[in-house]
Amino acid sequence: MTTKGPAEVADVNIDVRRAEALLKTGALQSAIFNSVNFSSIATDAKGVIQIFSVGAERMLGYTAAEVMNKITPAHIFDPQEVIARAKALSVELGTAITSGFEALVFKASRGIEDIYELTYIRKDGSRFPAVVSVTALRDAQDAIIGYLLISTDNTARKHAEADKSKLQEDSRMKSEFLASMSHELRTPLNGIIGFAEFLSDGKPGTLNAKQKEYLLNILNSGKYLLQLINDVLDLAKVEAGKMELNPESFSLAPAIEEVCAVATPMAQKKHIQVNVTVVPELGSVTLDQQKFKQVLYNLISNGINFTEDGGGAEIFAAPLDARRFTLSVKDTGIGIKPEDMKRLFREFEQLESGASRRYEGTGLGLALTRKIVELQGGSIGVESKVGQGSTFSVVLPLITKAGKP
Amino acid sequence: MSTARILVVDDNPTNLKLASDLLECEGYHILKAVDAEEAQLVIQRTPPDLILMDIALPGMDGLALTSKLKADEKTRHIIIVALTAFAMRGDDAKAHATGCDGYITKPVNTRTLPDEINAMVTRKGNRPRQ
Repeated sequence: MTTKGPAEVADVNIDVRRAEALLKTGALQSAIFNSVNFSSIATDAKGVIQIFSVGAERMLGYTAAEVMNKITPAHIFDPQEVIARAKALSVELGTAITSGFEALVFKASRGIEDIYELTYIRKDGSRFPAVVSVTALRDAQDAIIGYLLISTDNTARKHAEADKSKLQEDSRMKSEFLASMSHELRTPLNGIIGFAEFLSDGKPGTLNAKQKEYLLNILNSGKYLLQLINDVLDLAKVEAGKMELNPESFSLAPAIEEVCAVATPMAQKKHIQVNVTVVPELGSVTLDQQKFKQVLYNLISNGINFTEDGGGAEIFAAPLDARRFTLSVKDTGIGIKPEDMKRLFREFEQLESGASRRYEGTGLGLALTRKIVELQGGSIGVESKVGQGSTFSVVLPLITKAGKP
Repeated sequence: MSTARILVVDDNPTNLKLASDLLECEGYHILKAVDAEEAQLVIQRTPPDLILMDIALPGMDGLALTSKLKADEKTRHIIIVALTAFAMRGDDAKAHATGCDGYITKPVNTRTLPDEINAMVTRKGNRPRQ
């Protein structure tokens, strides 16, 4: 324990004297009772109203004279709710509690702190939700001489909650719609991709070169459309909170190599050299491996896609601190204008859209990549200079937690 | 080349034809059904070695039919491979829990499907019917 210096003791004494002064003059009490934003109702031990504050008058529409020494606060709450509360308390505390005033103050009378939500009914019959705090008033011998009920109008908060839950419901319905639509879209694609593949492999009969070429065009378009649908489905899953993480321990270097192997044909076609550096200290990580690969694949295929023939790309992975590592993908591509940076990670926003659109891509890749990275507790950022290239940097935890976030 | 008998159940006629023709090309004897009711009639008349079962069927769905077939002494031995476009995580577990022996997602990969089916038919040690 620390010893207080003389100055501090003096300060405490001043504080105590100030508090006493406030109580003695009744300034505190009168401020509380005259506050118009709180309803303060004091009763005697039996519950009959003795004090009805200005705030209570304003909130409930009764004058103090109409209720004092006449009724208990139980008469101005929704009676059904008071009955329900009595029943719930009887079960909770294992003792029979009668409906009425006892249900309002039972906990407070046992010295249990009690704040609850109930509906008040005003003099004109209108209703509003309130948060009620109940305290027992005790005399010097600790005997209960009454109760104090302080209430605030909860209407605004209730509205805010309702708005929020409506927004969540809308978002959930949108995601469900997307998910079911994606499913419907995959069914006919099964026929398109399947028959094109079946035919182009020449299984039902021999094809000439042109026929085979056109079939491969159908097949590639179908596969591209499928990728788009899968991305939409993934986004919908993230939005609906249904994308699950399945972390496992794996070595980073081979995982990165595997992704590069998939991207290599694309890079070779454009004569783009892809260099990979994984700092040796970076060994195993515990992440959702499939999603890690998805992120890296999206970034490296973007890098290759937006880089002119003969350019270069670089993948670099290194520890950042004790808990995190960085994965960056650098290209020597067209770069991104500063004003476009903000739109970069949004859905369906491929920059330079419309007629000037020269680069293949769904416009979903980066939005999805960001969501998958954030789902694993990571972050993504970009640095770019127009005409010089871009560097996308992902920071991920070395160990991520399982399940839905 | 296998001469095993395969029943393909799919309510989408194009997808039914794709899977059927693909497997027919591999030498399998193919039976077809567009819903669970028709599938049951076919199974009674000509029991197949393997069923390629679409999950989303009108009326009784593919998983319900699978449960029914796996609960029946006479049909329990038939290999059932679920085929579905619901590529959601957890669906494969559901299919296995229901009694499916395998699970394939749509769009089917026409280059790997025959091998997958062949592995299923031979793994179970089912002697293809002559």
